[in-house]
Amino acid sequence: MHQDKATIRDQLELIFQDTFVESNLAFSMDTRRDDVAEWDSLSHIRLLTAIEASFGVQFDLEEIVSMTSVAAIVDLLYEKLN
Amino acid sequence: MHDLPWLLKSADDFNERCARLLNHASPDAEAQLLANYALSINQSNRLYQTLQKFDPEKRAIFSRNLIPFKLGIVSNATMDLMIPAMITAALRYGIELEVIRADFGQVAQEAFDPASKLNQSNLDAVLLALDYRAYSVLVNEPEYSGGNDPGLDALGYLQQIQQSFALNGKTICIVQTLAHPPYELSGNLDAQLSGLLRKSLNVFNSALIENIKNSADVLFDVATLANTVGTHQWFDERQWYMSRVPIANGYIPLYTDYLAKLLAAIRGKSRKCLVLDLDNTLWGGVIGDDGLEGIQIGQGHPVGESFLAIQQWAKSLKALGIILTVCSKNDKVVALEAFQKHPGMLLKEDDFAVFMANWEDKASNIRKIAAILNIGMDAMVFVDDNPAEREIIRTMIPEISVPELPKDPSQFLRVLCAARYFEKIDFTTDDAQRNAQYADNARRQAMLQKAPSLTDYLISLEMKIHFAPFNETGRKRIVQLINKTNQFNLTTRRYTEADVLGFEKSGSYLTLQVQLQDKFGDNGMISVVICKNAGDCWEIDTWLMSCRVIKRRVEEAVCDELVAIARSKGIEKLRGYYRPTEKNKLVKNHYQQLGFVLISSDGSEDIWELETEHYQPKHPPIAIQNSLLDQTTHERSEIDG
Repeated sequence: MHQDKATIRDQLELIFQDTFVESNLAFSMDTRRDDVAEWDSLSHIRLLTAIEASFGVQFDLEEIVSMTSVAAIVDLLYEKLN
Repeated sequence: MHDLPWLLKSADDFNERCARLLNHASPDAEAQLLANYALSINQSNRLYQTLQKFDPEKRAIFSRNLIPFKLGIVSNATMDLMIPAMITAALRYGIELEVIRADFGQVAQEAFDPASKLNQSNLDAVLLALDYRAYSVLVNEPEYSGGNDPGLDALGYLQQIQQSFALNGKTICIVQTLAHPPYELSGNLDAQLSGLLRKSLNVFNSALIENIKNSADVLFDVATLANTVGTHQWFDERQWYMSRVPIANGYIPLYTDYLAKLLAAIRGKSRKCLVLDLDNTLWGGVIGDDGLEGIQIGQGHPVGESFLAIQQWAKSLKALGIILTVCSKNDKVVALEAFQKHPGMLLKEDDFAVFMANWEDKASNIRKIAAILNIGMDAMVFVDDNPAEREIIRTMIPEISVPELPKDPSQFLRVLCAARYFEKIDFTTDDAQRNAQYADNARRQAMLQKAPSLTDYLISLEMKIHFAPFNETGRKRIVQLINKTNQFNLTTRRYTEADVLGFEKSGSYLTLQVQLQDKFGDNGMISVVICKNAGDCWEIDTWLMSCRVIKRRVEEAVCDELVAIARSKGIEKLRGYYRPTEKNKLVKNHYQQLGFVLISSDGSEDIWELETEHYQPKHPPIAIQNSLLDQTTHERSEIDG
């Protein structure tokens, strides 16, 4: 099933809103893990679980380590889904 | 199992409701409603974060009816992710959980040092959240040189921890059996050869279970939980290597829910009564319509066997001390006959402490059962295949447990068992439980008075009704209803398809087919009426309704429609007939309830009449989607005759 990056980004934004409770979350392709105070090693695991469930994919360990920005996650998902 | 299938899926507005919780007038009730959904780990986290933001005043309101529980946790893994889910799961069982967490890996230090954080915290219990990786001897080591089996040496270490917390912290421990990781060396040999991990884990687990009987500590059988899930799913190496998360994150809701049930059991909040529906719950089919020969129960039939398994489960629970009761919309004589005469029935009449089969609403019946048994609503589990009945009971009696059930009855038992309603820590806490329940009585009384009315419930069903004269599309279903309906059937006249076609085409009959939708979906055609035109009077030859929509005031909507059509035709009188059978006692007073007057009565027939001029429309909370009054004049002229 083909999905373009904009669709993936939009679905990902909803997951971010569920994962991070703070309402003033800034979400864009430029958002990096360092920019989001709530994005620590544990919420990273919650984020991972939510993304895997929502997109029906499974990430390799190295991919999980490399998921340090929205752009990186969108790229990974794009690769997996197409 | 990871998504807690016995609980309702969370509402779409979950995040918004969390946000509004801070300003909610009853934050305690609303928080418990939210906690009662099948929460994902993100949702648990959101609810937990919201609870942290209560100001002291709201916090006091929130806490007023909850039972406090202070739990310490030591672990060889990262438990932080689990804490929000633990706290929201505990809320599900009326417990306000406070968690005191030892620093990562500080197991022995916390236990052995009397001045440690946990030992100084005056805890209600300590969870020893240890998996096999916490025990240095639990590795594959065929040449193990310790004194005992490595499983016993590991258990010796655990027991030192338990004893230290008892001595230094004056608290009980919750100890875990160990899940087998999905690794092995040889295969079948792994369970046999001393020193191999599988053998050691088996030795550890069985010795732990044996020893716990003689201690005040409590068993959390994580090994069985992991087996039920499957260890390939239970363990997730990626999450362990990333963050030392001990189990796959997706199973945290399940692990924490089971832990919370255990805490509730420690507090004496166990459930002790099973309230069972009958039709399509304890057997396949509807006894009132299908008859003794028509229902499916017992050996030799696949569907009958699936219901037999549920009966077997209930019977075994009874042996464990669970009270069995029946709450069913049925004629009591007919329902009892199934238990007395059906050869496939495992449960018998005397297995039930209370047998409520009647046509009252189920919430009232359940309250009566509770009063008779003198137990609280929170000690009861109500099992019913019908989603509408489940919804009404959840709404009217928020404290009772009502499992969601899948469509397929062969899957009922899995879900009922996964729900683990009857968690018990031993057989001797019954008295303590009873005391706690008496103490809660006053609170329950207060909640009863606040319970929403049946009308509120009916409104919430968002029912839509659709009337039409008989036509080709509906004909087959009309014939089926006419020949199958026994209970809500005033005259029990059976007609063939040719007969029905005759009514449809004849000018001297008014025919009605009725369809009903509600927010759970389309109920399809649920009622049929046939009236014979006798001058200025219509004689109601047939009036029947499917049992699945009983007690929803559908017959009132039908009557409103019928009278409105009659008036528009200048008909002055409706004449109704009740012809009693073995199965239709339900509708003996049907016409009386609608405002008809009894004209004559002998053993075989009651005749009722209604002056259409003086009829007061009932206006039940059902929207009319299509009325015969909207039909074309052409169709109307057909029934003028």
